[in-house]
Amino acid sequence: MATREVLVIVPALNEEESLATTLDEVRAVAPWVDLLVVDDGSRDGTAEVARVRGVPVLRHVVNLGVGAALQSGFRYALESGYAIGVQLDADGQHDPRDLEALVAPVREGRCDVAIGSRYVTPTGYRAPKARRLGMLLFSAVVRVALGQHIADTTSGFRAYGRRAMEAGRDDFPRDFPDAPLLIALGRRGFRFLEVPARMREREAGRSFYTLSKSLYYPYKNMLASLMAWLRPDGRRRS
Amino acid sequence: MEFLSRAQVVTALGATLLVLIVLDLVRRRRLSEDYSLLWVVSTVMVAVLGFSTPLLTSLTHALGILYEASTVFFFGLGFATAMLLFLSVKLSRLGQDHLTLTRELAFLRLELERLRIHPPAPSESGRGTPGRESA
Repeated sequence: MATREVLVIVPALNEEESLATTLDEVRAVAPWVDLLVVDDGSRDGTAEVARVRGVPVLRHVVNLGVGAALQSGFRYALESGYAIGVQLDADGQHDPRDLEALVAPVREGRCDVAIGSRYVTPTGYRAPKARRLGMLLFSAVVRVALGQHIADTTSGFRAYGRRAMEAGRDDFPRDFPDAPLLIALGRRGFRFLEVPARMREREAGRSFYTLSKSLYYPYKNMLASLMAWLRPDGRRRS
Repeated sequence: MEFLSRAQVVTALGATLLVLIVLDLVRRRRLSEDYSLLWVVSTVMVAVLGFSTPLLTSLTHALGILYEASTVFFFGLGFATAMLLFLSVKLSRLGQDHLTLTRELAFLRLELERLRIHPPAPSESGRGTPGRESA
């Protein structure tokens, strides 16, 4: 039973430079949400930046991956009784002014997962060519798997209802949670809605998606998407 | 005992030595019993093939392989592949366990930090905190 409303989950890896601004901005713009930082094995002062602001920190002592960080956030949200969990990047890419618009459809029961999308209305965002190609590819994969068009499958700005968090908590890859999580949830009947969201350039630090991962990412995401499609009953991976 | 080639002798002796090494590692608790199983089975199999020329020859003919040495390699490679697959499965399992433990630690640390900042009030029954009780 949900007793609190919205928890913003911020997975962070070595983001001490941009995390402060991100947290302060969320507090200023959306004082109605609670914050949680999941420090995924950072070697800098990421956890401290959150602690001095009174933001609870779940600290993975070693790096587990952004998917695993999100799962930890889901577990925290569920155990603490939140109705909605929002995934927000630590690097300042997502604009907290969009939080209200993102949360509203989940709160009103219009969908189970709201995806902050660059493509619902033109936002002036131009992704790099390789990334655009990836988005098209995974958009096609999701369309084949679910019969539903989601333009921005790689968006890391999403709001999840409680049931979606419960269903997805253990059942998506620990490194790249994008398309496979959508497929895993979609196969179990959860509804998605894309909401226009502004995306900004990274403020500092390095993206989770480094060059070395750019070849592994499509392979892993394709395989995990296929597996999510093959296991609609949500059996645990272990 | 008749050997077809020197290579067969080397194979037979090498496999026997490996069996002994594996068993010794288990004895010294450097290798756990479950990991040793596949090693023992594979090396014993190769050793038997190395020592028993009739078995090696008939198996080679049955499989349609041209040379006896290839049969030994064939089985050796088969076992190596099985071992790699087995280890990959074990590693995946370990990775999952490692994730669970790391996450559990994160939750416990957060709980501990909270308890340090807001220690629970002593219970009304007057028993005090567990720390004081044991002191």
